Amino acid sequence: MTAAALPRRPSIPAAWWGMGILIASESVLFGCMISTYFYFRFRSPVWPQGGVSPPELVAPIVTAACLATTSVPMQLAAFAARAGRLAATRLYVVAALVVQCGYLAYELRDYNNQLDKTDITRNAYTSIYYTLLGADHGHVLLGVLFNIWLLWKLSRGLNRYRSNATLAIAWYWHFANAATLAVVGTILSARV
Amino acid sequence: MAVVAPPASPAAERLGRLERMWQPRPGILGWITTTDHKRIGLLYFWTTLVFFGAGGVEALIMRTQLAEPNSHLVGPATYDELFSMHGITMIFLFIIPMTTGAFGNYLIPLMIGARDMAFPRVNALSYWIFVSSGIFMYVALFLGVAPNAGWYNYVPLSGAQFDPGRNIDVYTLGIIFNSIASTLTAGLFIVTILKSRAPGMSLNRMPLFCYAMLAAAIGLLFALPALTVDTIFLFLDRNIGTHFFDYAHGGSPLLWQTLFWFFGHPEVYILIVPAFGIATSIIPAFTQRRLVAYPLVGIAELLVVVIGFGVWAHHMYATGLPTVALIFFAGATAMVVIPSTIQVFAWLMSLVTGTPRFRTPLLFIAGFIFMFVTGGLSGIMFVAIPFDQAVTHTYFIIAHFHYIIFGAAVFPIFGGMYYWFPKITGRMYFERPGQISFWVLFVGTNLLFFPMHILGLLGMTRREYTYPASLGWGPYNLAETVGGYITLVGILLLFGNLVVSYFRGERAPIDPWHGPTLEWTTSSPPPEYNYAVIPKVTSAYPNWDVADRQEDRRKLAEGVLVLEQGHEQVEVTPADGFLSDVVTMPHSSPWPPLLAFCLALVFLMLVVGKYGVAGIMGILCLLVLFGWHSTEPEEA
Repeated sequence: MTAAALPRRPSIPAAWWGMGILIASESVLFGCMISTYFYFRFRSPVWPQGGVSPPELVAPIVTAACLATTSVPMQLAAFAARAGRLAATRLYVVAALVVQCGYLAYELRDYNNQLDKTDITRNAYTSIYYTLLGADHGHVLLGVLFNIWLLWKLSRGLNRYRSNATLAIAWYWHFANAATLAVVGTILSARV
Repeated sequence: MAVVAPPASPAAERLGRLERMWQPRPGILGWITTTDHKRIGLLYFWTTLVFFGAGGVEALIMRTQLAEPNSHLVGPATYDELFSMHGITMIFLFIIPMTTGAFGNYLIPLMIGARDMAFPRVNALSYWIFVSSGIFMYVALFLGVAPNAGWYNYVPLSGAQFDPGRNIDVYTLGIIFNSIASTLTAGLFIVTILKSRAPGMSLNRMPLFCYAMLAAAIGLLFALPALTVDTIFLFLDRNIGTHFFDYAHGGSPLLWQTLFWFFGHPEVYILIVPAFGIATSIIPAFTQRRLVAYPLVGIAELLVVVIGFGVWAHHMYATGLPTVALIFFAGATAMVVIPSTIQVFAWLMSLVTGTPRFRTPLLFIAGFIFMFVTGGLSGIMFVAIPFDQAVTHTYFIIAHFHYIIFGAAVFPIFGGMYYWFPKITGRMYFERPGQISFWVLFVGTNLLFFPMHILGLLGMTRREYTYPASLGWGPYNLAETVGGYITLVGILLLFGNLVVSYFRGERAPIDPWHGPTLEWTTSSPPPEYNYAVIPKVTSAYPNWDVADRQEDRRKLAEGVLVLEQGHEQVEVTPADGFLSDVVTMPHSSPWPPLLAFCLALVFLMLVVGKYGVAGIMGILCLLVLFGWHSTEPEEA
């Protein structure tokens, strides 16, 4: 009797747990930065400090919402990979990647424009504002790199390793999208 | 005459296949590219010992300086670097990597009946990053730009205005670099403990050592990001001109302390919890009974870390926090006593109701319990807020945390070295010199740290590089220094014993102590694949379940769960430990050390302010990562 003949129970793969660990750690990272934002805010008589105008309202909400929808194709890609449907997996990942790249390009341009108007070194508000936003964009960039890598892997077909990778990266995107919504919610709270 | 080989038995054939499948690369290259948790554990062990030596030398220089009043062996600037590097070294480069990196790495897979960690290459990466971060900070020490604002590095003292050199940038970047290694190890331990146990080892049958490691890993995982954020803020403040800690521009210096101690207090428990794990391994072996209150001790180990996240502000009683906050944190601090005491009583009751054999490892554990209770009693005094405000930043605090960190965290490390020495080296240590080394260390440590309580109450503050004779602190300080050198003698005796034993000791049997856990069922030292058969587990003390061990031998003959067809390991359901999968594990790999090297270049460029070059090195890291993932374990 070999191991193949032993009774088994299905269980979440270690790859997902590995990603879960990364998500847990990064969540604390964002938690600390968002806490810092409110720590400054509640100690400051005026907010934003030093006459800096609060961020724009509509564009961040619309772009963040667009980004958040990519959780759907990413999760569908994970399901398709588990079912062994290669073409569908690739299609879902590409669809998500297009939106994610568009979001990242727009945001980086916008970030640069804002920096031209108000420098990061102005006061504590601008310090945490740009750091928080920059950290979020960094995480989106990492997700884009993950997806490019995944497509490269998928170009050689599907196996258990790549299916687990798809699942893990889908969860990374759920986290990155949630982090983006939390960050946008935080910076827009300056308008409240 | 032709020799006809006798037909090999199926069991021997399977062992031969396993042997070939898990064969390491020969020579030094084999060590550099290794992904074997035992080799990585040993690499961690030797490296952390070097750092322990460095931290010890720093401590002895400081003690020599303080032995008499008005001493000027070193100047104030050097003294600043010495105490900063002593703290950073002992915490980040010795105790954490020794307990998790060395003990955890070597023992967790053995104790849970696994062939390797869940992510062996990540394990290797963690080691190479750790060693690079240590070299990074020590090279800075020799260049005269080592961290010099203490291990907790308070702003504004560590801000660009008061500390304009590169020293603090070395601190911020070195700590971030080091945190990456610890985070990787922490994640690795959690996944390994949840997913790679031998089938049958449900959570309520897991060795308490693994509970302790799980608790430490959870602590590291959730505490380190706060430190990372804090150090990133400080790096930006110093180099980009942001104002996180600048009161004049809306920032807050107290933010540093809040984020730092949100990491720093769990950190203290991360240092101590693995020591609990070592104690709970040694006590059953030398009392020949199951540990009293196994489930309570397991929960207590986890609770210590969980409650540890709610006590950070007790480091900040003197900063003018609102009284309500002070009372909350005092209450939380008092609560830590409950899980700690549960464990102390469980250890004591096991000793009282068992048949203790006071061999060297158990002596160290007895010393540990004494020191832990002493340090705990001075710790509980800090719940009394006015008392804490009076003694904060005095030698009373130094006495308290050295009793905890040296007495309670390092003594079990020493005990563990003796306890697992036969398993790891295949040799027995010499018992009598071992016991002498314990008594010398016990006397030395108490003489070194106890008078600090008195000095603290007399008003001697920490980090004074010298003091005038008129204050009357001289005799106490001299006693401490003598204690310091006695401790050194004890440590030299200990390592002298181990080194001589390694060459001259008797051959160790498989199970010299009749230990309870799985590592005592395999040969000393264990083979590359750890176990010929993934062991059967039906209790938390599997080596005492004779019938299960006989079944393992039967399974080897039948070929059940030998997994000799590939470089494989089992995965189980996280709670029940039910077999869920057989997965192929990666072989040795050159990518982890390469990636660590590229990351070191990134941090080096950041510290000298060449951000563009750092970016290029970052791209190099990405290329290495792509290379890393070009071969999948199944294809190798």
